[in-house]
Amino acid sequence: MNWGFIVTNAITLTCIYGTLAIGISVTWSSLGLVNMAYGFIFALSGYGAWLASVYIGPFPVVVMIAGILTGAIGGLIVCLLAFIPIHDKPNFPLRALIATLAISLVGNQILLWWFGPRAKSLPRLFGSWNADILGVVVTSDKLGASLSAILLLTLILLWMRSSRRGLEIRAMMMNPHAASIVGIGVRRTSIYVMALTGSLAGLAAVLLAQTYYVAPFSGITPMIKGLSIALVGGLGSIPGAVIGAIMLGVNESLTLTFLGGQYVLITQFLLIIVVLLIRPRGISGILDKAREA
Amino acid sequence: MTDTTAPIWIDPTDSQHPETPAREVVTNPFLSHQVTWDETTRFRPKMYLVGRLRYYYKWPGHGGALWTRTRYWPTRRRVLNIHGEYNPKTMRREKTIVDKRPIWWVLALAAFLIMPLFVPASSFNTAMSAASVFAIYAAINLCWMLVVGTAGIFSLATYAVVGAAAYGTTYMAIMLGLPWWLLPLAGVLIGLAFGLLIALPAMRLDGFYYALLTLGVVELCRVYVVQSRQFGSATGGLYGAPSYLPAGLSQTNRLLLGYYAALFVMILALFLYRFVDGKRLGRLLRMAQEKKEGFAQACGVDFIRARIMVFLISSAALGFIGGFYATHFGGASPNLFSFDTLLLSLAMLVIGGIGRAEGAVAGTLIVVFIDRVLIDLGPLRFVLIGAIMLGVVLFLRGGIFGIKSQFRAWRDKKKSERRSTRAEKGGEMLPEEATEVEDKDQVYFRRFDKMQRDFLKRLVSDAVIAEHKSKPLGQHSEALERLLIYFRRQGQVDKYAIMVLEEFKAYRIVALSGHRGTAPRMVEDRNYETPDEAYHALFLRRVQDLLET
Repeated sequence: MNWGFIVTNAITLTCIYGTLAIGISVTWSSLGLVNMAYGFIFALSGYGAWLASVYIGPFPVVVMIAGILTGAIGGLIVCLLAFIPIHDKPNFPLRALIATLAISLVGNQILLWWFGPRAKSLPRLFGSWNADILGVVVTSDKLGASLSAILLLTLILLWMRSSRRGLEIRAMMMNPHAASIVGIGVRRTSIYVMALTGSLAGLAAVLLAQTYYVAPFSGITPMIKGLSIALVGGLGSIPGAVIGAIMLGVNESLTLTFLGGQYVLITQFLLIIVVLLIRPRGISGILDKAREA
Repeated sequence: MTDTTAPIWIDPTDSQHPETPAREVVTNPFLSHQVTWDETTRFRPKMYLVGRLRYYYKWPGHGGALWTRTRYWPTRRRVLNIHGEYNPKTMRREKTIVDKRPIWWVLALAAFLIMPLFVPASSFNTAMSAASVFAIYAAINLCWMLVVGTAGIFSLATYAVVGAAAYGTTYMAIMLGLPWWLLPLAGVLIGLAFGLLIALPAMRLDGFYYALLTLGVVELCRVYVVQSRQFGSATGGLYGAPSYLPAGLSQTNRLLLGYYAALFVMILALFLYRFVDGKRLGRLLRMAQEKKEGFAQACGVDFIRARIMVFLISSAALGFIGGFYATHFGGASPNLFSFDTLLLSLAMLVIGGIGRAEGAVAGTLIVVFIDRVLIDLGPLRFVLIGAIMLGVVLFLRGGIFGIKSQFRAWRDKKKSERRSTRAEKGGEMLPEEATEVEDKDQVYFRRFDKMQRDFLKRLVSDAVIAEHKSKPLGQHSEALERLLIYFRRQGQVDKYAIMVLEEFKAYRIVALSGHRGTAPRMVEDRNYETPDEAYHALFLRRVQDLLET
């Protein structure tokens, strides 16, 4: 039994999925939008990073920044197409869900049409070396992915705690109506939020592309995992998303080791269903404070 | 008198003292009070059409055939809902078909039946296989529409139910050697079991939580099927289910028979939709709409039970379709669980409009046509479907079949805007206030008063004020005289007056209370030394009040 492997695997997966889940959760709670185009943003930023590595050079910083920037642009596209035109129309949550699904369909097919079905691989951002921490061998990509995810997430959370824009976003998360009463523009804030969450997706895409590849449909599975983590943690709660990410990361690495790769999703969804049956709004969601957008 | 910009007014009373020269003051040019009247009563707004045209065709009257109507046999239900009325203008008897949908359905189904005759021979294979795919997908979407539209459960696991039934029945057929006609029946059982399984969380979760969970279930099924050796991970699907087509049939006849069988399943699904959505369950759920569940529950409608019932019924039907899918295609493929299938079928529902049977069928027709017939476009055809879906979601409220009602709502909104621009402006009282006031004279008095004040405002000028300052009492020019008469005529409540504190030394402006026994209130903390100064200050106050209204 290689407990060290399980733990490092769990931490890496937790960091990457947590990044995605926090993005989804923040979008939902501040805008009332379930961003189903997250997988498309993910794939798009993977391609952005790949283009940068081909045309500018395989420098880690350049690739990462390109991925994050493309992700932010993808978020802006989704915001301009699916949020701003219909956010004050009747039946908005359902229509926004369908609109983001349509964006996902169109975007993924355009990626397929433009780049072809062959997967691209990003250069190794963190080199290829192993570190020995307390007797546990950690590969460079896992360590680098975890560290950079934690670093950037901390930076973003600090920004959300301390800056004016972050205050606006947090106000929207708490109560969108009250926020608009005190003069926080819904549309303006939606642009910040979508750029921010898009850049989180870009970060996760660059990090996950260290182990997987960049492909037109590579975003769908991570998006579904991120969604389920956000769901388990309670949509709209960042601590909940972190707890959910830890739970599912541990579950995934345990299942990988003990049962095998094909049972990962099965155990994961059993876990999710059990959690949701016990707490219908997720771990840290409050039952009677559902967001009524 | 010369028509200068600032004419001179000569005091006529000075003619009684011809020995002194007459008093001359600069005053306003003459302004007829008719000007304000004309401006207020002029008809300004641009006129648009208001009201409703008789745009739909009306049949002529009934003759003797009013009471003989074709009815479905055991019921008293009519084939066409025909409404008779008298035309209010001509007082002639007219008939209207209230709901023309039965006619359209009959025409469309007839078109589907005779469609194979008109397919060009060169593309017969493509078109007929696309048509049977259309019919099966339409049947699935009709059942899904029951879940999403009637029950209001946003489940994305419809194709998971179909796929589970298709895989299960194929597996059973391979293992147990079931004949083809048992497959749909076995599919019903599998669909019911699967439906029960995924209906359990639906009782506790709502809205998006359930949608996201079912999305996860679909992904779970896909990954399981793709990786499972039992279910043909190597061959890309599980094949080997018995076909309902007789063995010795030519290719053309196989396609034809397959198409008609699929069409039959679609018609069964249409009947199911009709009998679930239009009968007791559907009506219960129509009462328990979104955000009105509490009210329905208070009325004794057990909407959760009704929702689960609809969900289970449609799951059983989906299982039936899954079994049929297995015999039709000879097996099942993991494609049923893919995210793209889900997206495409959601596009079918959304394009047609959620909550109506014709929406499901028409949306499926459009999407399957783009997907299966325009194959030359490559990936761009999905882009086209996605663009249509996005456009429909962004601009339409109820899909393409909601265009009519949305257009009418928009037109009615425009009409009411135009009607409101027609409303007479300039009256002081708003219509709501006017209906409340007991004394209707007040309405007309205030309208007149408003017009008068509008006119008097135009009379106020520096010349008039200077004239009043030079001589507050006595004869005045016409403009000033009109102003003063208006001011003097006001009611006693809050009317300005001059209080003498000490004669020829101190005067003060007060406002009368208008009620006996209540002292006047102080207006400003200032004394005037002469009566004329006080008169003029009072005049300025009134002018200011006039201009402020």
